[in-house]
Amino acid sequence: MDELKVSRPSLKPELPPHLALGESKDRVMLKTCAVMAIPLVLGVAAIGWEALWQILISAGTVLILHTVIQFWEGQTGRRISYPTPASPLVLALIVGLSMPAGSPYNITIGVAGLAMLVFKYLQGRLFTRKFVNPAAAAKAVLLTVLSLMVFLEDPLGLGMLYHPHHLNLDMISPAGFADAIAFYETDTLTAEQSLVFWKTHGWIGGASGVGTLVAGIIACFWIRLKWRIPLAFLAAMAVLSVGMGLFTGGDPVSRIALHVFTGSTIFLAFFMATEPQSTPMPGKSQYLFGIALAVLTFILQLAGVLGGSIIALVLLNLLTPWFDKIGHKRAIGMGGGI
Amino acid sequence: MRRYYEEKQGFKVDAEMKLGLEQDPFEEIPPPPAASVFLDQHVGPPGKPLVKEGDRVLTGQKISEGEEALALPVHSPITGRVTGFAKLRHPISGNQEQAVLIEAEGEEEWALMEQRPNIKSLSAQEIIERVREAGIVGLGGAAFPAHVKLSRGSDIDHLIINAKESDPNLACDVRLVLERPEELISGIEIMARALDVKEVTFATRTEEGELLQFEKLLKERGIKIAHIRPSYSVGSERLLARELLGREVPADQFPPDVGVVVHNVATCLATAEAVVKGKPLISRGITFYARETGGRNLWVRMGTPVEHILNYIGVSPESVDRVVLGSIMMGKGATDFRTPLLKCFAGLVALTPYEHSPFENPYPCIRCGFCDAICPVDIYPSLLLEALEKGKTEALDNLNFDSCIDCNLCSYVCPSSIRVNPKQRAG
Repeated sequence: MDELKVSRPSLKPELPPHLALGESKDRVMLKTCAVMAIPLVLGVAAIGWEALWQILISAGTVLILHTVIQFWEGQTGRRISYPTPASPLVLALIVGLSMPAGSPYNITIGVAGLAMLVFKYLQGRLFTRKFVNPAAAAKAVLLTVLSLMVFLEDPLGLGMLYHPHHLNLDMISPAGFADAIAFYETDTLTAEQSLVFWKTHGWIGGASGVGTLVAGIIACFWIRLKWRIPLAFLAAMAVLSVGMGLFTGGDPVSRIALHVFTGSTIFLAFFMATEPQSTPMPGKSQYLFGIALAVLTFILQLAGVLGGSIIALVLLNLLTPWFDKIGHKRAIGMGGGI
Repeated sequence: MRRYYEEKQGFKVDAEMKLGLEQDPFEEIPPPPAASVFLDQHVGPPGKPLVKEGDRVLTGQKISEGEEALALPVHSPITGRVTGFAKLRHPISGNQEQAVLIEAEGEEEWALMEQRPNIKSLSAQEIIERVREAGIVGLGGAAFPAHVKLSRGSDIDHLIINAKESDPNLACDVRLVLERPEELISGIEIMARALDVKEVTFATRTEEGELLQFEKLLKERGIKIAHIRPSYSVGSERLLARELLGREVPADQFPPDVGVVVHNVATCLATAEAVVKGKPLISRGITFYARETGGRNLWVRMGTPVEHILNYIGVSPESVDRVVLGSIMMGKGATDFRTPLLKCFAGLVALTPYEHSPFENPYPCIRCGFCDAICPVDIYPSLLLEALEKGKTEALDNLNFDSCIDCNLCSYVCPSSIRVNPKQRAG
């Protein structure tokens, strides 16, 4: 036989030829980071450098912990949970973007640390999957615990979820509601305009409601997020807002501006409520999950817990195993016609 | 021809491996100096050997036979002498199974069956008997005895010839159509005659006008042609029956149970060769692929060891880490290159040590839902994976485990590199 003409391939590992298109977990994570750059840039532009600091603090905390965990896992011969920083980086961005710019730095560090250490790393290790969204769970738990620490000078203010000012708002009557959203007015924008386009406080990731909406839609197509959840969530929030507006005699548009475009709704809808591990798999269950999330969030918002969407999300995350059992499609070959 | 196949929800399957291979003519691989012929090459019990050590056998001579309903004979692929019997690792079952070892000897001589060029004089029963005698199995990969499918008689009203060839590494079916159109038409007519069906559809992945001569022949004989959308999963006979005729095959049944028989185009050719020329099934067209050589269409005898093919193509077996036999999506891996080709293998892919299995280092499942979204039969591979990992076998029925068609698309799209495929997981 002729001498073999074997061109030696490079030493770089290559996938078999038909798998060249395969999406990797890291690629999905990095794409998520790229999409979140949109609300990040808009948040910093609207709120200022303070917003960037919050994100950098969150990123620093998470990445330091990631490095420590990775080192420890390597030293003790354990399986490396996160071989690259891509997944922790997504968590860092979510935590940073879900914090208000005025959050004390130690609170941001606390939320980021708790999210990474307990709700991402330990939860994954102990249960092989995550049952609650790490960022939402860390924020809900830490802020609730802080709110309950009555020995602190201002526990509710420090906790930020059950802020005394928010809890005293009248979110039901038209006048009370108008007062509540007046907080968002600026020199050039009405409260509604500010809520939809350019907020200067609240969650950094929701500073531009429309910008976050666009980023979320891009993510749905590009990263194939579980798009049914934000769709059902936002649609149900809009319906509830209109219903409430009509029922109480207020302006439904103002209601939509707050309930749909506030940062804790619009950012959470796309970047937290779609967290894959803690949300249902069947399509119909995802719609139901989104609607249930809207109802709970709406109730909490009416009660003055304006960032209540994270509490609603954590509660519903815990029901995901149940949601997974309902809403199944009819499989082909299992009867019922085409 | 397309670079990609489009699946549900916009997912794509890379078909670049076979791009342009339709233009590559079959090249006949010389008979191997020694062949290992498994007696089990079909769905059903293997036959009993009809030869003993030291016997001289002719090409096409029956070397095993069985009496059970699904039993099929196996024929010698070469002229030579039986050197013995051995238990070898079967490339499909993975078990040690009996193979007849034959060494080539002397000039090639054929043992043909009776030739019946006038197919109109054949009864359905005669056709079925000849197809069985020739040891023909479904050459699309299933290896189901072809004569059993042809024996369904009155409850069948539609014959589909599957030339969809949707696997990313296979182009041999289109090549058959281009090289042997008359024989194929003859095979289709023989099958239609055995089944006594009026409706025959030829399903192809090609676009209109790409098989001009063949399309003209089909039209002349009143056979419909269906150009199927570019999708990998539609190549499954269950989904093809649904796509073409709107008939859903229940998970616990087969296409003939809804009045449709689906035969692969290569099975058609084998049928024509058996009935008209009296040739048993001892060779077939396959598509070979290695990164360094690209794709090639080859004509290979069953029982040919993989290393014989590699050597002929000019790929050193030492440079190959493993091969995939059959479809790259659903085929079987082998690291022993003495493994012989079976009737059902339409492809052979040689992978180097640098082409890592994507499933070597899986991450934990992130429940992204890609596998559920792409599943062509609408089951939830992710939930099946969870149930199987937790040992909750009682949940499998509720999750429609039986509907899984083992297509492997779920594993293909998994970003965590998990071999999700529920059928493989369940063993």
